[in-house]
Amino acid sequence: MENLLFGIGISALAGALATVAGAAEDTESDIGSQGDPNSQVQLAPQMGYIHRIYNKAISGEPPAYGLWVALAAGIAWALMAIQYNAILALIVGSSVAVFVQGVYATTAYLGRTASLAKFEQPVYIDVLKSVTTVTMAHAFVAVFTTVTMCFLMIEALGHPFPLPLMGIVWGIALGAAGSATGNPFYGKERQYQNYPFGAGLPISASGDIVRYAEAGQRSSLDNGWFTSKGAGPASGICFGLIVFFELWRTVLFEPLVAGWGGVIAGAVLIIVFMVIDRFVETWARKTYGPYTKETEEEATT
Amino acid sequence: MSALGGGAAGGEGINPVASVIALVIVLASVGIVFILYPAALIPLIGVIIGGVLISFGVHFVPVGGAPAAMGQAPGIATGVAMLAAGGGLAGLFGGAWAAGHGLWIALGAGAMGGGVLMAITCLMVNVVYVFEMGIPAASGKVDKDPITGDTYPAYRSQGTEGHGLPFISYVGGVLGGILAGTGGTLIYLQLLAVYQGAFASWVGITPEGVATLAVSLAGIFAVGMFLVAAVLTAYNITGTIEGPHDPKFKRWPRAVIGSSAACAACGLVAILLVVI
Repeated sequence: MENLLFGIGISALAGALATVAGAAEDTESDIGSQGDPNSQVQLAPQMGYIHRIYNKAISGEPPAYGLWVALAAGIAWALMAIQYNAILALIVGSSVAVFVQGVYATTAYLGRTASLAKFEQPVYIDVLKSVTTVTMAHAFVAVFTTVTMCFLMIEALGHPFPLPLMGIVWGIALGAAGSATGNPFYGKERQYQNYPFGAGLPISASGDIVRYAEAGQRSSLDNGWFTSKGAGPASGICFGLIVFFELWRTVLFEPLVAGWGGVIAGAVLIIVFMVIDRFVETWARKTYGPYTKETEEEATT
Repeated sequence: MSALGGGAAGGEGINPVASVIALVIVLASVGIVFILYPAALIPLIGVIIGGVLISFGVHFVPVGGAPAAMGQAPGIATGVAMLAAGGGLAGLFGGAWAAGHGLWIALGAGAMGGGVLMAITCLMVNVVYVFEMGIPAASGKVDKDPITGDTYPAYRSQGTEGHGLPFISYVGGVLGGILAGTGGTLIYLQLLAVYQGAFASWVGITPEGVATLAVSLAGIFAVGMFLVAAVLTAYNITGTIEGPHDPKFKRWPRAVIGSSAACAACGLVAILLVVI
């Protein structure tokens, strides 16, 4: 019983760490335009819209976070192997990974923006100085919490994977959850804030991103402020739920039904989430209604 | 046809010459393992089946890429290979944890690991679209949902190909996660069996050493092969796909043939590591 309670407690702690990680990851990627909306930031100068938005997309979020978390985990693992204090090792590992992230962000911003020189998009050194450090700070939060969560899964719950491998697995999952949940909010809701709320962006409007703020030009830091109210928490909840339920169903139900308990619990969870999704979908259809009048012909086809 | 106007690359049909080459690669890999290390023959076949499952599963995952991030096309706003990797690796995590319970339970745990990740991610995608952006789900490829019967043409906003995750795409995402999680776990378990068998006979290695080395090697090869199969499939899909109802879904035999050849070659290398 004590083991079970300990396991559930660790699951909850790992879920909480994952929630923070997801929120920090998404905010970091939105400030740096690392997710899919980077295409619009890159496209805007080509359409004649010069801007001061940071763009550090050198790869998608999942491989980038796979690299950074695995790097932090690898260094922490090596330090622990020579009897370093575990917490210190995790902090040192995350710090080194964040410096690598900073190097990637700097080279990506310079490279991507310099490639737009023929469209007269300048490289702003003040943007580089002010935004890079902010993304690094968010990346530290995301990487440190993820590595700590991986460490807990191995040391407290007894998962067989070594720490660096666990770092790759959960780093990629973190990037996948954060980019899937957070990208639409940053891409549609923030970059195209001047287009009507409650509708997708017409394809013909691509590239016309919002470039001005209440005073002066919009900075990527404003984007972080905006997305941390919507996309960040949503990504955090997404990754937190994934980690918590993944651990919870195994810790609590695996001993039941000759080992099949965890599998059955997983199937039940999937069905529960599917029902909630269907409810959300029908709620939206009923509450918002169609954009155009539904014709009889459309309804019957 | 992508939302940004790019042409659809690649045909629908199967190239007979390429398929024969793939078959030869598979047979050659199996033959080499049979001659050099017959004990690893069944695991190699397991690895190939795992690659096929991953490749087939990735076709189910609704991926909208950059257009989805602007609400211009339905699906999840990230890359095909990356999203599938997220789901499949979460499955691998669950499967590896349950490895002590035997093959079938571990495969089940892997399948549910991938399925739960996709179920939660797809739900949160719809939550963001509906509650934060005020946009209902609408498919761009079909006018009527094959499962629920919802009609979509009136729910597509002007100038877009649809948006959000219609229910058929949600179900596709979960199925994709389940198949990819099963495939990744199968590859891991087969390689783990090979490595545990091979390392146990080494002189001077402790049982803990065997376990650590075997788990690490099998895990990293499983992650690598997962990405090989998923990326190959992403090239087959070319850009975005909505799920099982998308016309691009019919291309799956091509990716399955390609992934089986790639996983056979990768599996051969993974097994030769302990033979030579």
